[in-house]
Amino acid sequence: MTHKRQQPPSFYSKLFEWFCKENVHDELQGDLEEEFNINYRTQGKTHAHRIYKREVIKMLRPSVIKKFKSQRHYNHTAMFRNYSIVALRSLMRNKLFSSINIIGLSVSMAVGLLAITFVSEIYSYDNFHKNGSRIYRVTSDISRDNQGTTFYATSSILTGIRYSQEFSSAEKVAPIFRGMSGDLTLEETVISIKGIYSNNDFFDIFTFPLLYGNPETALSEPYTVVLTEDLAMRLFGKTDVVGEVLEYSTKDQLTITGVAKNPPRNSHLQFDAIGALQTLVVRNSSVATNWRSHTASYLYILVPDGQKLDRIQSDLNQLAQQENAKVKGYTITPGLEAMNDIFPGRPRSNQFGTVMPSKNVNSIMVLALIVILAACFNYTNLSIARSIKRSKEVGVRKVVGARRFQLISQFMIEAIMVSLLALVIAFFLFKLIKPGFLTLNFYVSRTTSLELTIQVYFYFLAFAILVGALAGLLPASMMSKLKPVSILKGVSSVISGKGIGLQKVLTAIQFTLSMGFFILVTLVSKQYRYALNYDLGFSTENVLNVSVNGNDHQLLINAFQQFPEVTGISTSTMLPSVGSSQYAFAKADDPSDSVITYTFNVDEAYLSNMGHELIAGNDFTKGSSDGKVVVNEMFLKQLNLGTPIEALNKQITYFQKDWTIIGVVKDFNARMVNEPMAPFIFRSGEFRPSYINLRLATNDITNTMSKVSEAWTKIDPNHDLEAMFYSDEIERAYSEVSSSVKTYGLLAGVAISISILGLLGMAVYTTEIRLKELTIRKVLGATISNLVLLLSKSFLAIFIISAAIAIPAAYYMFQQTIMAESVNRISIGFWELSGGALLIIAIAFFTISSQTLKAAKSNPAENLRNE
Amino acid sequence: MKGTHLGEFQEIVLLVILSLDDNAYGVTIKQEIMEKVNRGISRGALHTALTRLEEKGFITSEQGESHPDRGGRKKRYYTVTNRGIAALHGAKEIRDQFWGKIPRLKLHPGYDS
Repeated sequence: MTHKRQQPPSFYSKLFEWFCKENVHDELQGDLEEEFNINYRTQGKTHAHRIYKREVIKMLRPSVIKKFKSQRHYNHTAMFRNYSIVALRSLMRNKLFSSINIIGLSVSMAVGLLAITFVSEIYSYDNFHKNGSRIYRVTSDISRDNQGTTFYATSSILTGIRYSQEFSSAEKVAPIFRGMSGDLTLEETVISIKGIYSNNDFFDIFTFPLLYGNPETALSEPYTVVLTEDLAMRLFGKTDVVGEVLEYSTKDQLTITGVAKNPPRNSHLQFDAIGALQTLVVRNSSVATNWRSHTASYLYILVPDGQKLDRIQSDLNQLAQQENAKVKGYTITPGLEAMNDIFPGRPRSNQFGTVMPSKNVNSIMVLALIVILAACFNYTNLSIARSIKRSKEVGVRKVVGARRFQLISQFMIEAIMVSLLALVIAFFLFKLIKPGFLTLNFYVSRTTSLELTIQVYFYFLAFAILVGALAGLLPASMMSKLKPVSILKGVSSVISGKGIGLQKVLTAIQFTLSMGFFILVTLVSKQYRYALNYDLGFSTENVLNVSVNGNDHQLLINAFQQFPEVTGISTSTMLPSVGSSQYAFAKADDPSDSVITYTFNVDEAYLSNMGHELIAGNDFTKGSSDGKVVVNEMFLKQLNLGTPIEALNKQITYFQKDWTIIGVVKDFNARMVNEPMAPFIFRSGEFRPSYINLRLATNDITNTMSKVSEAWTKIDPNHDLEAMFYSDEIERAYSEVSSSVKTYGLLAGVAISISILGLLGMAVYTTEIRLKELTIRKVLGATISNLVLLLSKSFLAIFIISAAIAIPAAYYMFQQTIMAESVNRISIGFWELSGGALLIIAIAFFTISSQTLKAAKSNPAENLRNE
Repeated sequence: MKGTHLGEFQEIVLLVILSLDDNAYGVTIKQEIMEKVNRGISRGALHTALTRLEEKGFITSEQGESHPDRGGRKKRYYTVTNRGIAALHGAKEIRDQFWGKIPRLKLHPGYDS
């Protein structure tokens, strides 16, 4: 044979030699090479190489691979049992250490569990739609002249109708109008519903399956309606009700064409019924034809697979351009928002239902993280402090032959055991705080139930293991690094400077976070109290606001007037200072600029009833209030109308009408306290009031309320009385702030307590280690205060650094993010800022000195006697 | 010794070894399977099968000569033991038994019901 022998690819040969069993390598490698040479000659180099490589890779099978050293059999179960026993023993022996860790970890993990349940529930929203990733909502950014831009979640029905007819870039287009509210009547049964109008595409886009009826045609005809299962049951007592006829708001006859499953809890779209959008069209309702009518209408589209959003966007822009040209001073810029970005999402006006702002979700996650970190740092710090005592154990294990990996896993297992133990306690704590969290604020109470699913339990377990691993990692790697020689030689040389430095850094981070957090909460709660007690410029005490709810207000007034407790009674279309507002541009004869002016209608009793102070002119009088207004001082100032006296009888233009100023009231805050005072106009004359304001003089509120409620039921048996005291109404308007203060306050407290606990542990250990040193110093003449100072010095430095970082950071956060848009702020002085920090330092100092004092006061002879 | 069950692939390997007579080693067995049975297998898969067969006592092996193409490494020749032949007979009997039972008509490739 004359051919030259070829060498197969050497990397693969080496690889094969590395993993192949030695006793079969000769045979197999020989066969492979022989085959390689045959292939080389018959099929060429490239093929031969490729086949050889493939053959080597396919050699990766149990019958070929040798047993590697690491696979050598260890008695794992025995080792694990040993680790667990040692871990349990050391937990039992160090009761203080264990209880600090377990308490800290379980409290913080309860917060973590809450955050996990909350976040996983929030992110489950709208995930049941089969086409979820292709569903988009068309939003509107609306700019009015001189007024900036408002971001709306809505779009006009007109946009939807025109877009679906004239463009083909979307697969399905469903306009939704959230205006089907009223009473559905079936013989004797009257049920008030919150429904929507939409078209057949609705069922193609969303996964809201129909139990009865055909989704292709259910909403084709006007005056047809699809009920939810629940509503059908309430009306008919059964769900198979297709073809039945209902009366809607005492005028329309609606035919039922379908019954849909109830929208799941985790849907941001909620409805009792879906009416055919066509109904609005045939009624020629302005809602369906007006470009600017977008307060309660939405547009959802299904984007075809692979379709670029740009095309849809440019179609929408083209449409908007045409329509914007028809109206003056009003520009709508359409936008696209993915279904996933709606809930939780960025704040937009007129959302469909309550949408959890992603800001809230993020802040809860950050806060939970801070609390958990505090607890993890405790574990790390205390473990390192304790490592002095356990270093002998490490030394012996190493001498006997433990590898570093084994020691690391031992200490990690210990940490994970502690965290699993804490998980059990945390779970009960979680159950305890869950109801409180659910009533925290309306965002939470309206959108979450914190139900525990199997998935969530799995998260819990993973979370506990992660926390344990995180807390145990540093001590494990430090302890396993210790050299047996130095350990066994003597204790003093064991703890390296690095360990102590690390402890200081962790403590500093812990205290910086919890201090900053605490200061922030103090500031926010001060601001909240300030807002509640703010002098609004009118009197809100003992005023009960009754919502008229579509009834004849005169009947109600007549009824309420009978009660001796009612000392004043008036009506209005709105309530100031609780967050809602109506405004328009007002102009005076003096054609300076027009200004945004807030307004609502009141009757002639309102101003005196609500305690507004008239500084010039007259109040409204019954029967002669048409075309007359009472304004506030700010209005005069901004329109340059001179002094209150001069302004009287001047003409202004408002809502395209002329009005005469008949009176001027003192400035008052019609909007929220965080917004500036604004010009205001009271109008009177003919209007439909929404509220009746009762001023009460009573000592028995319960009795009065039941009388009011009785009178209400006589007039309107169908609806419940909606009445609220003004001060409660204001408190509700600020409820978001108050609930944040409550949560953050609680969490700040938790974080601080955990940090202090950790500090206590550190102090105990430091004192214990330095006990002999302290005793000798004492014998040599050091005073108790000397000793306390000596031990506290290093901690004090940590606190001062923490405070130096936390105070400015908290101040900056407060001014720049939390209060960025607020006008009436509290004044922040030295005490507001550093009060919290000083308090924490004082508590911390007290904690440390409690330990050092004990050591310093003890009898030197006792401590020195044992060696 | 493990079980005595003879897998389908193992059966083929045994037959191939027998047919190769005294030239049955890795490369020839593999080539024969690829050519006659028209089945592409890797040397690793063959090794697994040979190991199993040897464990069951159906084949034995001994070292042979080396060759420069093999980088000087020795071949390993395989021979089928009596036990292996018995196993082959057993497998064939089971098949024959069924072949005999099947109505002739059904074995016609065109038959379809």
